[in-house]
Amino acid sequence: MTESPPVNHPTIDLGCGTWCTINYDSVISSALAILVTIALAIVIARSLKPGQPGRLQALAEWMFGFVRRTALENAPDAGFVVPLAATIGFYILIANYLDFFPITLIPNLHPANTDVNQTAAMAIVVFVVVNAYTIRVRGVGGYLHHLTRPFELPIWARALYTVLNVIEEIAKPATLALRLFGNILAGLLMIYVITLLLGGVPYVGSWFLGPIALAVWKLFDVLFIGLIQAFIFMLLTMVYFGLAREGLEEEHAHSH
Amino acid sequence: MDHFAAAMIAFGIALGGGAIGAAIGDGLVGNATINGVARQPESRSTLQGIMFIIIGLVEGMYFINLAFGALFVFAIGK
Repeated sequence: MTESPPVNHPTIDLGCGTWCTINYDSVISSALAILVTIALAIVIARSLKPGQPGRLQALAEWMFGFVRRTALENAPDAGFVVPLAATIGFYILIANYLDFFPITLIPNLHPANTDVNQTAAMAIVVFVVVNAYTIRVRGVGGYLHHLTRPFELPIWARALYTVLNVIEEIAKPATLALRLFGNILAGLLMIYVITLLLGGVPYVGSWFLGPIALAVWKLFDVLFIGLIQAFIFMLLTMVYFGLAREGLEEEHAHSH
Repeated sequence: MDHFAAAMIAFGIALGGGAIGAAIGDGLVGNATINGVARQPESRSTLQGIMFIIIGLVEGMYFINLAFGALFVFAIGK
């Protein structure tokens, strides 16, 4: 029993350079996570009872209610954030929780978020939607003007801050993607290292120490880190929408 | 020195430095949380939630470090 880390993904080359290859194992893994998410959503939606919610329904209602409250607190006029953030949050949570099962033992299958292309795809979607929303609420001129904040400084200092603001905008999706990728891959690497080290202990290693350490690590890693990372990705998505309209009310109050 | 040994040494240095940073960050978060709870004990549950989010953010940096270090080591070691 060795769960080897998916560091080198098998790829299909489309024949147009380094940037257009497909990691087909990641496609299969994320398809599995998507199917489980959709199946769970359909099961919950079918079993909805208005008067007497079951446990699953109560949990789903509580989670969705939290997403809705937080999203509308951050960006009151952006109702489309609620389904986006909820989808991202639930998908990441379920993709991480699939790590409970030893799915890496099956060929071409691994936790979906251990490929940086997966997490980068979600981060790029968030980046594009946030910037489109910023342009919508501020206009193109307002968007460019917003990049020169803080406004009360002299003009040369604002020119310096513009560079920093642009770097910050680019760093947002990069850290969003790399944080999730790093956490989930590090958890999987720990599983590999535990199997490798404790499997070498004579007599008791492979059937006693190794499985116990694996179980303890998986409980911590999957239950705690997986949940926290899904939550952080979702929360930061909503916070970025809040940042997009930061200071908008005051500026309007000044101009009128 | 061959490439693998050099990669392993670099990985160790990166892990050590990242661990220092993550530990300092966690300590600051815990410090601030204790101060907040001592000042307003009724806000304990709110602060705990925020504390775990911040710990997740702080340790995220360290895990990025760990994952990329391991990625390079495994990729070079192959």
